Amino acid sequence: MAIIAIQNLTYHYPQTTQPALQDLSFQVEEGEFVAVIGANGAGKSTLCYALTGFAPHFFRGEMSGQVLVAGLDTRHTPLEELMLVAGLVFQNPGNQISGAKFTVYEEIAFGLENLGVPPAEMRPRIDRIMALTGITDFANRSPYALSGGQQQRVALASILVMEPKLLVLDEPTSQLDPIGSREVFETIRAMSKQGMTVIMAEHKLEWVATFADRVIALANGEIILNGPPAEVLTSPLLIEHHIGQTRYTTVAKQAQAEQLWPPERALPVVIDEAEAGFRAYKK
Amino acid sequence: MPDNLSLYIERDSPLQRLNPLTKLAISFSLILIGFLGPGYWLATLLFICVLVPLSIWGKIGPEFLQRTVRLILPLALFLFVMQSLFYPGGRTVLWRFWIFSVKLEGVQFAYLTATRLMNMVGAFLLLLLSTHPSTLMTDLTRRGVSPSLTYILVSTLQIIPQMRNKANTIIDAQRSRGLETQGSVRARIGALLPLVGPLVFGSLVDVEERAIALEARAFKAKRVKTSLIHVPDSVRQRQVRIGLVVLTLVMIGIRLWPL
Amino acid sequence: MSFSERLKADFSTMTLVLIPVAIAINIVIGQIVSLLKLPVYLDSIGTVLVGVLAGPWAGALTGVLSNTIWGLTIDPNALPWFPVALFIGLVAGLCANAGLFKTWWKVVISGLLIAIVAAIVSSFINVALYGGITASGSSFLTAYLMASGRGVIESVLATSFIFEPIDKVATALLAWFIIKGLSKRYVSRFPRAENA
Ligand SMILES: Nc1ncnc2c1ncn2[C@@H]1O[C@H](COP(=O)(O)OP(=O)(O)OP(=O)(O)O)[C@@H](O)[C@H]1O
Ligand SMILES: [Mg+2]
Repeated sequence: MAIIAIQNLTYHYPQTTQPALQDLSFQVEEGEFVAVIGANGAGKSTLCYALTGFAPHFFRGEMSGQVLVAGLDTRHTPLEELMLVAGLVFQNPGNQISGAKFTVYEEIAFGLENLGVPPAEMRPRIDRIMALTGITDFANRSPYALSGGQQQRVALASILVMEPKLLVLDEPTSQLDPIGSREVFETIRAMSKQGMTVIMAEHKLEWVATFADRVIALANGEIILNGPPAEVLTSPLLIEHHIGQTRYTTVAKQAQAEQLWPPERALPVVIDEAEAGFRAYKK
Repeated sequence: MPDNLSLYIERDSPLQRLNPLTKLAISFSLILIGFLGPGYWLATLLFICVLVPLSIWGKIGPEFLQRTVRLILPLALFLFVMQSLFYPGGRTVLWRFWIFSVKLEGVQFAYLTATRLMNMVGAFLLLLLSTHPSTLMTDLTRRGVSPSLTYILVSTLQIIPQMRNKANTIIDAQRSRGLETQGSVRARIGALLPLVGPLVFGSLVDVEERAIALEARAFKAKRVKTSLIHVPDSVRQRQVRIGLVVLTLVMIGIRLWPL
Repeated sequence: MSFSERLKADFSTMTLVLIPVAIAINIVIGQIVSLLKLPVYLDSIGTVLVGVLAGPWAGALTGVLSNTIWGLTIDPNALPWFPVALFIGLVAGLCANAGLFKTWWKVVISGLLIAIVAAIVSSFINVALYGGITASGSSFLTAYLMASGRGVIESVLATSFIFEPIDKVATALLAWFIIKGLSKRYVSRFPRAENA
């Protein structure tokens, strides 16, 4: 069964005439890893908010069409109940520290306390998630005393510990250095491997190409492409809509123009395909 | 710069282990009795005979005294100077110099005010030095204080040092750009605006995302919240608290209706 | 809307997150201003801001907490004055409800109203607790007035009425400028956005 089913979703922020999302329809199966790409202002964040109910519950504005998440209609389900099925992690790590707690361990417990989980049940859940996100060593540190990458993993752990059915990530590494980004991406990938459904807005296309089962490309609030990474990431539409392409695609395209790439071969989106292509040409 | 404004000192002592509400009751009854109770020497007595021994019991004696003195000394000195010279009811002149004269009533009143303030500061410090804010908040929430209120309190304690750090960074940046923090009032106001603007707007703009993050953690869920930490309490402590309330009322009563 | 519903609406998640930031603004600006030795306090800009954006009750709470935290960490002399801070937030909120935070000259009126209430409340505390002479510089003026034959209450009130208006009008105007500087769409997230 599809865990996300979106039908003709159109959404306007309050007092705006241009819709931020326009007539979107798509489904996501349980366990899928879907990447959402698009230029600045394309509507990636808005889609993340729509999937978690913040649009329209928090931002208000006007929504038409239907968003079903784990069977719940977001428009008619209160935000606090949607938080049980869809977890949201976004860009700025510092802003996701609740401020309600003094240590990382308590910070991760915060969501569970709000859900009324019995204390005896909390500890094993927290320990497991801390190990999974690799933050066990920081348990007694202040969440404010961590680096961006560490904070982002604490944010991730704080959401994951609530055991949502779906993880929505809005450019979770855009404010991190390369090392921090890698750590966060590895954690997300590990979650996905364990069967978690992941929707991730992301502009680092090389990562998208290696992680995603499927890629949705947005432009001006509309879906322009929806398919497997190899297909979406090599589409000429990406350049047209200022989304860019992976550096492997760029290099191979250039090689193609200079007849250095096997003519019948598809353009690569990951390094292995690029390498294989050039090797094939050499033969 | 510490990560939060908590004053808590981690020590293994019976005072530390008391239920936070008991300590809160001790502090508030001391403050109320100090201000509203009978007798000129009452605040002095409370400080020396109750607060100091309690702080020693809590193994925080030196820190307690040091902090209290550091907070109260400048204030007390100023009070003594001002009130001994200008206290309106002053008649008995102790000595005079130039146009000033130091009056006994002023000195006495300054002493009373200063000891009352010292008693108050000491009572608060005893509570804050011996109680982790998180324990206090957990206990208060369990007793029905709104989680929103405890959230505001804890979050404030953590945000102020963040803001101060940012303020220091900005001040340094302005200095290195040649904008002085010294000079005429005009110049200083001129330096103030570019200094504070980014800080204020930056922190305000973050509010929206931080509210989303708070909602994402189910803070507004309509469920009975639980708590990771268990804060112990006892029947004995409850009796002590009731005793403190009664004692406070009696002391205020004695002041209002002296025998 | 009933009072409890109104309170619930006022204390939205946005307000809960705003209040600590406002308290930090009070304290950090207050400290910078005293560092620069300017002739004002400006330690309640955040309180007024919350009063306008989230109503009088949220403003009052911001004032009290701000004062308490300032008192416990910086200057204990501030503690007994918490009712003044409470009323600053409350009156700012009430002024905003009455539409007095919409144009600059109305904001000046708000500042004056806040100053009047602050002066009355602080004079009351001053007389009750310190007998007119507190541990602040403005007490020199009070002392002078008393020495020239005026009564305690009169002298204290007169002093407050000289020092409060400048500070409170500046505070109200700065809070208003800050709100003007925020995007409309951001301000609209707050429960009393229509007051700004
Ligand atoms: N709170 C809001 N109120 C009104 N309009 C908004 C709001 N947030 C975003 N928008 C507008 O909606 C459109 C989509 O914005 P969105 O933030 O979803 O884009 P994005 O793809 O996430 O961009 P970026 O890559 O910059 O994060 C933009 O035109 C933006 O200006
Ligand atoms: Mg975005």
